[in-house]
Amino acid sequence: MNIQEKCRMALIDLITEKIVKVPLVSNDKPEVIRELIQILVDAGEVSDFDAVLKAVNEREEKQSTGLEEGVAIPHCKCDAVSTLKIAIGIAPQGIDFNSIDGKPSKLFFLMLASPNQAGPHVEALAEIAKLVRSKAFCRAVISAENAMEVVELFRGE
Amino acid sequence: MSSPIKKIMVYIDGTEQSVTAAQYAICLASFSGAELIACYVVNTRAMEDLLKARIFLQDEQLEYEHDMEADGERYLNYVNELAVKKGVSIVRKQSRGSVHKEIVDIVEQETIDLLVVGELSRIRSRRDEFYDETERAIRMVNCSVLVVKDEDRVWEIYESLV
Repeated sequence: MNIQEKCRMALIDLITEKIVKVPLVSNDKPEVIRELIQILVDAGEVSDFDAVLKAVNEREEKQSTGLEEGVAIPHCKCDAVSTLKIAIGIAPQGIDFNSIDGKPSKLFFLMLASPNQAGPHVEALAEIAKLVRSKAFCRAVISAENAMEVVELFRGE
Repeated sequence: MSSPIKKIMVYIDGTEQSVTAAQYAICLASFSGAELIACYVVNTRAMEDLLKARIFLQDEQLEYEHDMEADGERYLNYVNELAVKKGVSIVRKQSRGSVHKEIVDIVEQETIDLLVVGELSRIRSRRDEFYDETERAIRMVNCSVLVVKDEDRVWEIYESLV
């Protein structure tokens, strides 16, 4: 057994410019999920696009991860990744993501966890959940003009 | 004079740093004859928050809880193997709840003299200062705390232990 798979890595260490896209170009939910996964493929973080897409869609079929106030956090466990992966996308125009409050989603966090890394996944999700409780923070991120600004906002928070 | 340290607890969270802390705690227990407890906490508080925020579904929460319990067993068994190799006995303790609160409670219940933890992650943002569970435990426990650093040196000490 390799206990040392899990490194102490703060969420901020995962958020770099290459996993942030501003703005997203998609217009609907299936497209935006694909676009978010493609960010990770382009960044070299994910190789099996189809496996990830299947896992994300299976989770979305149970219930949409579109939350309130324009935030969506699609997430799942997936054999295609060995460590926690995150992609962030901003869609200032808003995309219908079947959210709880019916409002269009503008700030997307795609989170993929390895099946044997439940702890880091839960911790990262909890950290994101705390962050997005701040409407001011969400507004600032949604207004960001580029990936660097988004990363800076996360570092400064 | 008898040793002031009779009970040591090491907090294990599955990180490399916590394994290094466990190796050091095993050495300390061997040298001092202190009783050694290894503790892992399933962070059910975080999962409850995720359920409340509707990020998790009920069955998803249960699935993750089950996964984290299994992770905890694996981590504690690994640390137990490290201790057994050096002839040190270790009590494995798995708890559930808010991580820092559980650590504080176990330290009190078990009348721990020394809490051993792994090196803390670098502070990268303001929220790290508020939300790092290990750091919060360090601040709140009523016993002395040892933060273990220098993985290579600790490994040498552990390896040299007969």
